[in-house]
Amino acid sequence: MSYYELMGTFELSFIFAILALGTFITFKILDFPDLTVEGSFPFGASVAAVLITSEIPIISNAWLATLIAAFAGFGAGYATAILNVKFKILHILAGILIATALYSINIRVMDGPNVPLLGVDTVFTVFEDIEYMKSFEAKTLFLGALVLAIKFSLDAFLATGVGLSMRASGSNAEMAAANGVDVGKMRLIGVGVANALAATAGALFAQTIGASDAQSGVGMIIIGLAAVIIGMSLLPSRLMWHATFAVIVGTVVYRLAIAAALNSDATGLNASDLQMVTAFLVIFVLVVQHYSSGFLARKKGRKL
Amino acid sequence: MIELNDIHVVFNAGSALETRALKGVNLKVPKGEFITVIGSNGAGKSTSLNSIAGIAPVSRGRVIVDGHDITKWPVHKRSKIISRVFQDPKMGTCEDLSILENYAIACGRTKPKGFGFAVNKDLKEQAAENLSILGLGLENRLNDKVGLLSGGQRQAVSLLMATTGETKVLLLDEHTAALDPKTAAFVMQLTKDLVAKLNLTVVMVTHSMSQALHTGDRTIMFHQGKIIFDIAGKERADMEVKDLLELFKKDQGEELSDDSLLLG
Repeated sequence: MSYYELMGTFELSFIFAILALGTFITFKILDFPDLTVEGSFPFGASVAAVLITSEIPIISNAWLATLIAAFAGFGAGYATAILNVKFKILHILAGILIATALYSINIRVMDGPNVPLLGVDTVFTVFEDIEYMKSFEAKTLFLGALVLAIKFSLDAFLATGVGLSMRASGSNAEMAAANGVDVGKMRLIGVGVANALAATAGALFAQTIGASDAQSGVGMIIIGLAAVIIGMSLLPSRLMWHATFAVIVGTVVYRLAIAAALNSDATGLNASDLQMVTAFLVIFVLVVQHYSSGFLARKKGRKL
Repeated sequence: MIELNDIHVVFNAGSALETRALKGVNLKVPKGEFITVIGSNGAGKSTSLNSIAGIAPVSRGRVIVDGHDITKWPVHKRSKIISRVFQDPKMGTCEDLSILENYAIACGRTKPKGFGFAVNKDLKEQAAENLSILGLGLENRLNDKVGLLSGGQRQAVSLLMATTGETKVLLLDEHTAALDPKTAAFVMQLTKDLVAKLNLTVVMVTHSMSQALHTGDRTIMFHQGKIIFDIAGKERADMEVKDLLELFKKDQGEELSDDSLLLG
């Protein structure tokens, strides 16, 4: 793998790490298996792409468009949580329903299956003319800093009264309610924030590859899960700031493993095998966890 | 302090499995009274407790606690005035969280939870001080996960957590039933001490007739969704388990012979 390829892998890793931190909130903290991200990732991409190419002053600014995409993602997650909290629809089904609806909504938003982002200013445009650094290095560095900023904000939030309440809601909902925690509200906020992160990742992904595509959400949930599961298997800890770090490491390890598998001629795999390789990787880690239970799983607590 | 007015609870209403768990229960518990509740399985004792806690679906009647009509309040809102200790030691605490974090959540029960850091130095000192009352050495294990504690230790911590803040009403749902006799006695003594110290209004459900008669100030017995006895004062003080069984036989015209009810 060349230096350029390695940096590219890191760049994508950091974008997916934003999504994976959202998956960490839903699966690990709230115990709410949320599949909305399959729709909210391309939703973020679509909203950002349409705004950036709209040529409307201010709103077509890539940074603002990315922020608006994050809010749109929050809305999508909030909708899933409403279905679960208010209407008692099973969490997994609620996520599938919203993700399914978003597939059509994304095509409506983009007025077609995709929107190219060529020749427009994206959030990465500023990194193109930096003297002492190549643009791809600057981009990777920026995304790394962004992931860390999100990680530290999440760490701080989880240490607050509300954050602790959210953790209690996922760990023991009945106890949380008996201690004055509005469990429903925690789900609404938590699933909303997780999808805001997914949409942000989607918006950045579209700006990196230069297009937003309605199909880009396929397999996102498994990427997020792979990152969380691999990270927490490699670096098991009960401290929250360790766990969020583990999620980022997990994403990088996952992307490196995928890049190595797909780039190697010996494996005979090509790009379209990505989803299969990812699924097998997750299955592999879960099976290893199963056989090491009693020793490792106890320390890690609940299995995914 | 607690007032149940004509409470009816129906499970699976309208279906073939319809169960009328409570059929018009009236109860008044004045402030500072410790009331014990007995009854065989399905008699309605836990359901009546749950109607106060907000878990049971009350189809008719009103629940009034501390002057508030809380019949329609969700569980988390009731927790400002009511705290609970569950039968299962695993239920009262979060096993994934540390002892200190659990304590912080309990402290937030009567106060709004904000965006300030949940665990700080003051809270740590307060937690250590309160936990030292238990004499279990938990004040030195504040950062240990609760999942590492034994059932008795967890129940003691749950009890301590339930009595933090400005709690007025404490609901105990067979909270010593899952413990071994020695630990049960320890938790029961701790309960009596904390209740006396904080002058709480307590409703305790129990399976043990002897425990019901020898704890608190007043005993009520449920049978088929209704309160059949309500005894206190001298009458109660003179009563033994066999007298209670006699009373039941005379009143209901049938023997009380439920294996689930501990006669000892």
